[in-house]
Amino acid sequence: MANTLRPYLTCIRNTLTAAMSLQNFPCQDVERHNKPEVEFKTNTELLLNPILICRNEAEKCLIETSINSLRISIKVKQADELENILTKKFLRFLAMRAESFQVLRRKPVQGYDISFLITNQHCEEMNKHRLIDFIVRFMEDIDKEISELKLSVNTRGRLVASEYLKQYT
Amino acid sequence: MILMQPQARAVLQILVNRSRVKQEKPLEIDFHLVEFNDVRYHILSVAKEPHYMTLSLGLPLPAPETVFSGDLPLGAVEAVRGAYGSLAQVKEPPEMGYNLTLRIDLSQLPADEEDCLQVLTKFASVRSVVLGAPLREILKHLAMNTVSPDADRLTALMHRPRESCFLVPQADKVTVIFPMRFKDANDAVLATSFLQEFMEARRTGGLNTAPPCLWSSNPPAELQGVSGLALDANCGFVSIVIFARHVEGDKLERTVWNLSTFHAYVSYHVKCSKAFMHTRMRRRVESLIQVLNRAKPDLEKDKKTAQGRSFKRSV
Repeated sequence: MANTLRPYLTCIRNTLTAAMSLQNFPCQDVERHNKPEVEFKTNTELLLNPILICRNEAEKCLIETSINSLRISIKVKQADELENILTKKFLRFLAMRAESFQVLRRKPVQGYDISFLITNQHCEEMNKHRLIDFIVRFMEDIDKEISELKLSVNTRGRLVASEYLKQYT
Repeated sequence: MILMQPQARAVLQILVNRSRVKQEKPLEIDFHLVEFNDVRYHILSVAKEPHYMTLSLGLPLPAPETVFSGDLPLGAVEAVRGAYGSLAQVKEPPEMGYNLTLRIDLSQLPADEEDCLQVLTKFASVRSVVLGAPLREILKHLAMNTVSPDADRLTALMHRPRESCFLVPQADKVTVIFPMRFKDANDAVLATSFLQEFMEARRTGGLNTAPPCLWSSNPPAELQGVSGLALDANCGFVSIVIFARHVEGDKLERTVWNLSTFHAYVSYHVKCSKAFMHTRMRRRVESLIQVLNRAKPDLEKDKKTAQGRSFKRSV
């Protein structure tokens, strides 16, 4: 399981490094507007081919690029019912705080668990390589956090059960 | 505080404070309290009768299959009389909106501080006495290895508002079955993982004598013939088998309380889990934002040249 994690993250990192060449591009259709083209997808000449990187059937990462913006959508592995609700809770918690994360999207793209939107503004403000570090670190942290939450629930369950049954002895 | 205590702490505090005041001094107290699972208390003390206090208990409505005699569970009045003796009198009819009213005689409280506290703790556990009365009856018979002649094969008891748990009393053991229901689907998933741990907890050392617990998502065979609404449980069914060794002597009271509040206990810990998860998530968010801030070179660093003059780098 762990032996596919490193190649998966390296592949994502390389793709992002290649895709993150964003420049300012004012809107072609409406005067004085400057929109992230990847969200609207109105003009095909401004978009690049989307890339889908799959680790296995359950986990994948979609990277869509355009001339001034980049959208990364991630689907996280959810093995059972408990992991399902923990993932949903945690990612919803993060998405609600999208403003403090700046590059996070408030709602994930349809079919995925969480999405990022990086625009040329972000690339001007922040160091490009550090930004990619952040995205990869984010993905590792999600996996770690979900497994730690699951562990804490199981540990607490064990403690609760043994304390209760001790009452009868 | 992992376990739930039978005495209501607020009620105990009020009673202790009242008993400490000299009884000749007239004192007016009027408190309304609410506890988990819709149980209400009303404590009243009027200046005209300085030696008496009234404690009223209000219970939630039972489910249709649970039988109440009058407004109280079967055997509740006898249990109250037996627990409090001459110290309290049951007032008939109970106060408006409440199911039971007790008139406590303060002049009969023992003088010794510790004994007095024990008696008042018993008063604060009136909820356990009243709600656990039918269960206590059945378990008393179990301690003597008999079955009460008027107990049905399957008895329904109220343990939550409008929900019941089921008892199958037999001569050598009593099986208690809880259909577990949670309003929130996420809570139900967390509780399922907790309840499955109950099944496996017996394997840990020292718990061999604990009652065996079973969890299943379908109603067990003993619940044949019960109406569908009572069996609607989104978190499965827990069956706990109580033997005579769990109810001998002092253990009876604890067993009654633990069984009556099983669902409340699990639900309390599910909520604690959720609170803990929130704390963890908040900490994780902070650490991620720190990583992101490292990406921003917005702080202009003052660099020093070889001669010791500093200059600012303009990007």
